[in-house]
Amino acid sequence: MSVDIVPNQFAVPYLDISDPSFAMQSEELRNAREASWYARTNYGIAVLRYEEVSKLLKSPKLIQGSAKWPAHNGVHGGLFFDWWTKNLLVLEGEDHHRIRRLLNPAFSPRLIKDLVPRFQELANELIDDFIEKGECEFIGDFAEPYATRVLTILLGIDESEWPTIARLASTIGLALGVTFKQDLDKVDAAVAELYAYAEDLIKDRQANPGEDFVSRLVLASRDGDKLNDEELRNALVLLIFGGMDTTRNQLGLAMQSFMRNPDQWELLAERPELGPKAVEEVMRTNPTVTWVTREAVEDFTYQGLEIAAGTTVHLFTQASGTDPLAFPNPELDLLGEHPVHYGFGGGVHHCLGHFVARADMSEALPLLANRLANPHLTGGDEWLPDSGNTGPIRLPIGFTQRG
Amino acid sequence: MAQITVDRTLCDNHGQCAIAAPKVFSMNDEGILEYAETFDDALLDEVEEAIDVCPVQAIFLKD
Repeated sequence: MSVDIVPNQFAVPYLDISDPSFAMQSEELRNAREASWYARTNYGIAVLRYEEVSKLLKSPKLIQGSAKWPAHNGVHGGLFFDWWTKNLLVLEGEDHHRIRRLLNPAFSPRLIKDLVPRFQELANELIDDFIEKGECEFIGDFAEPYATRVLTILLGIDESEWPTIARLASTIGLALGVTFKQDLDKVDAAVAELYAYAEDLIKDRQANPGEDFVSRLVLASRDGDKLNDEELRNALVLLIFGGMDTTRNQLGLAMQSFMRNPDQWELLAERPELGPKAVEEVMRTNPTVTWVTREAVEDFTYQGLEIAAGTTVHLFTQASGTDPLAFPNPELDLLGEHPVHYGFGGGVHHCLGHFVARADMSEALPLLANRLANPHLTGGDEWLPDSGNTGPIRLPIGFTQRG
Repeated sequence: MAQITVDRTLCDNHGQCAIAAPKVFSMNDEGILEYAETFDDALLDEVEEAIDVCPVQAIFLKD
């Protein structure tokens, strides 16, 4: 796993990315990025600049680096382990492509467009519940129910069941944290519960197929090939696992970004058509997925750096999205013309659900801006660490009701 | 025969099209997209899937 540093690169910075106080948006990281396109870390190398992240993210010399995650945490069996080894995030080559081809049509942007009116109603309904108070806990009162109820809408299950789905998704999410081994029993129990949920849903749609998302997955076929029941179940678990926390956290981070940039919030309130741009700008400057991990499949040299097969390569999304070499004005700017960000990852493992996430957040943000003037922190906010998927756990805010 | 064009100013070489329609799109050793501008009508369904799935929506069917 060694990284050979060529002579005269003694100035390569070092980052301790396992330190709970490690911060992406810090002087330390900005200095490192200015000094070098990459940093050494306690666990592989970290790529800090836009051009290099863009190139390496899609390089055929790298594969995803997540397959070994359970083993890395001392987990070698159980329900989560079995699911993880068969899910799209860790599959490679034709095994990956086959599943992806069968899942893709259900995630088509054309189909998701039909759900937009329901997303708008949902956002307004949630805002109605707290608007009179002039304050809310943004995660519990908006981000989490919105993100989870979008999933129930997509899955065609009763929206009142959202707290169960939120609880299961959060529990399975513990598998990505540093306490995974301790939480293993809870995680496996949540996987079992979600499996039962998914299996019922699949049986129901197999018996009564309609035009909905799950029916599309059940009916999907390609060259005579179909997803079997286990693959369908695994895909539904992936949708819930990958779709809830990420959207909840990203909405919380969006609110943080706009509280820091009140003029941009006003602009969004005046021009709701900037909703899609708001999502891109927030994800460029303040993404929940702060890094994407890859692993070298062969020895290769990139920009003079010899990267040995097996080396872990972390691609830093926030650092790349605010790199002054690619973004001379890196601040959040809804009217700026910027290159694409990598908040949804990239290459063959590019986020499968990004059209859903983009569509639902593009509706939520302008509706919030339209109704909440001058949002501000009121104290008591709690945050996830910067490693993994970051964001607020609690975000109490105050505001003035607009109009 | 049907025809497509890829807007290279938008294309970011993610390679999702090469997964959806491997007979028309492929990624070379450098990870750069190569594609056939004309293709048999029988492949239209998978090419439309590639158009749909492109993360940056850079593929366009020509009339």
